[in-house]
Amino acid sequence: MLDKLGDDFLVYAPVKKGRQRYYQPYRSLDKNITLGEVRPFEPMKAFFSRARETIARDFRPEMPEDGKKPFCIVGVKACDLKGFKVQDHVFRNHDYPDPFYLKARRDNLILSCDCTCAIDTCFCLALGIKPYPQEDYDLNLSPIAGGFILEIGSTKGQGVVDKFSALVSQAGDSLLKEKETLRSNMIKQVEKNIEENSIPDQTRYKQIIDKNYDASLWQDEAKTCVECGACNTICPTCHCFLLYDQKDEKNMDRLRIWDSCLIKDFARVAGGANPRKKLWMRLRNRFEKKFDYFPKVAGVYACTGCGRCISACPAKIDIRRILRKLVDLTV
Amino acid sequence: MPSKEENPYRPIEAQVLEVIPETPTIITIRFRPKELMEFRTGQFVAITIPGSGEAFFTPSSRPSVKEIMEVTVMKVGKVTSKIHLLKPGDIIGVRGPLGNGYPTDKFKNREVLVVGGGCGFAPIRSLMYTLFEMRGELKNLIFRGGCKNPRELVYKNEISEWPKQHALDFKITVDKSEEGWQGNVGLVTTILENLEMDCPGGIAIVCGPPIMMKFVTLKLLGLGFKEDNLYLSMEKNMSCGIGKCGHCRLGTYYCCKDGPVFTYNQIKNFHELWD
Repeated sequence: MLDKLGDDFLVYAPVKKGRQRYYQPYRSLDKNITLGEVRPFEPMKAFFSRARETIARDFRPEMPEDGKKPFCIVGVKACDLKGFKVQDHVFRNHDYPDPFYLKARRDNLILSCDCTCAIDTCFCLALGIKPYPQEDYDLNLSPIAGGFILEIGSTKGQGVVDKFSALVSQAGDSLLKEKETLRSNMIKQVEKNIEENSIPDQTRYKQIIDKNYDASLWQDEAKTCVECGACNTICPTCHCFLLYDQKDEKNMDRLRIWDSCLIKDFARVAGGANPRKKLWMRLRNRFEKKFDYFPKVAGVYACTGCGRCISACPAKIDIRRILRKLVDLTV
Repeated sequence: MPSKEENPYRPIEAQVLEVIPETPTIITIRFRPKELMEFRTGQFVAITIPGSGEAFFTPSSRPSVKEIMEVTVMKVGKVTSKIHLLKPGDIIGVRGPLGNGYPTDKFKNREVLVVGGGCGFAPIRSLMYTLFEMRGELKNLIFRGGCKNPRELVYKNEISEWPKQHALDFKITVDKSEEGWQGNVGLVTTILENLEMDCPGGIAIVCGPPIMMKFVTLKLLGLGFKEDNLYLSMEKNMSCGIGKCGHCRLGTYYCCKDGPVFTYNQIKNFHELWD
């Protein structure tokens, strides 16, 4: 099926290398393709707003075309799909929809998959997400012994099922029961993570920023930060970018590149004033955006519990620890 | 703003018509966009220097003149330095108009105080042109302006004509005097005493550097202006101008799409307000 989808899409699937999984162009003979397990190293947002893309050329009104097929992303996990709640708010639901994002949302195909294991940084349940996709997918795959149970999430997904109807059949009760058993086992694994790390539930995040805006924890936590911005780039909800112009003899290109709010000049104005001069102010800003701004403007905490920022941080700044401290201080 | 079907990131080609020196560090450029770009006073545009990038300015010109726009630019960074090298005939890009302008309809039948400081004179000039055009509908119009020293005063010759041409209560001051200056000396707050207007019922519009806006705001609140009638123009680092790139966040707003003009009431409780 994935081979055939390659006619219309650039198919990407998670491939396991060492202990990590990476989205790689799909090659049918690759034995390391891992649809289940846990979220890949990179966030899925990279298929919807590229880390670096040309968004305007010269003074031409049309969108620059790269002539590439849309993406089919396979093995997407529920934590990445929650990222859409934030990315859609920014790029799709705002006053000025972003035509590049709209196109990617319209054309890309998402074949998501249940998690079949948790790693120690997983804490999706604390953010109200289950370790299996419930929305925002085209087709979901639930691995069971000898195959997958498919769930259709959109008309696009229905189209795929119709096209490959020879490969699918109605799942019987025993298979559905097997799926449910595997799913509840998964929940138990994440619950164990949450318990072992004492991660507070999102129902306790109200006012954790407002009440602790002047707390010393921001300075303490920022001490080891090296301002690399990995937490931003790896995050499924972080959306900030920078427009960057370049020119050769023929063309003038405007590029959009991912930006990071931890970097010193993020909010600095040309005159020199910088509202977030200190690193700890920028770390606080990251949390303010996630746990104060987005719940207020979009009704959602901009964290999916994917744990990527914990693994990516060279300074061992741990969002679980900060949330725990914030909640403890707020009570 | 660009229409919803268009690419919101592309600049429109524009030709520089004139470069007017204002002070040793400030120039005004006049340019003609190749496509009509109407703006409301207080809205802003992004000026592109091809290949170098964009910088944001509120036009200092008359919104009722639709084909030609002016921006007043202080040389402070990479793009503004390039803007200072422009000559008539050069091609630039312009994107916008962006954000929300001054709600001038709300000023009708009211007494209006306008306070400008330093580079804030640029948006204020455009606003004053608009207010002059609707002067008959305003109960009173007062202008107070301040800048560091007489050399840094923009539109010097022009604004000294304002009180002669329009019914306007007009005062300016400089923080530090220099030879030849015969006007007021002192911070702009010193010429906000004894305003001949009903402050609690009046409108106040303030535009200038953050420190000036902070102290003028405090002063005006002390004079009885209502928080809902006090309009501030906020300046933040911007990149996209349409509320997506995340740079210009102020509390729960983005300066670009929700501002840049806010009432004090909208933003008074936000952290980093004057930073």
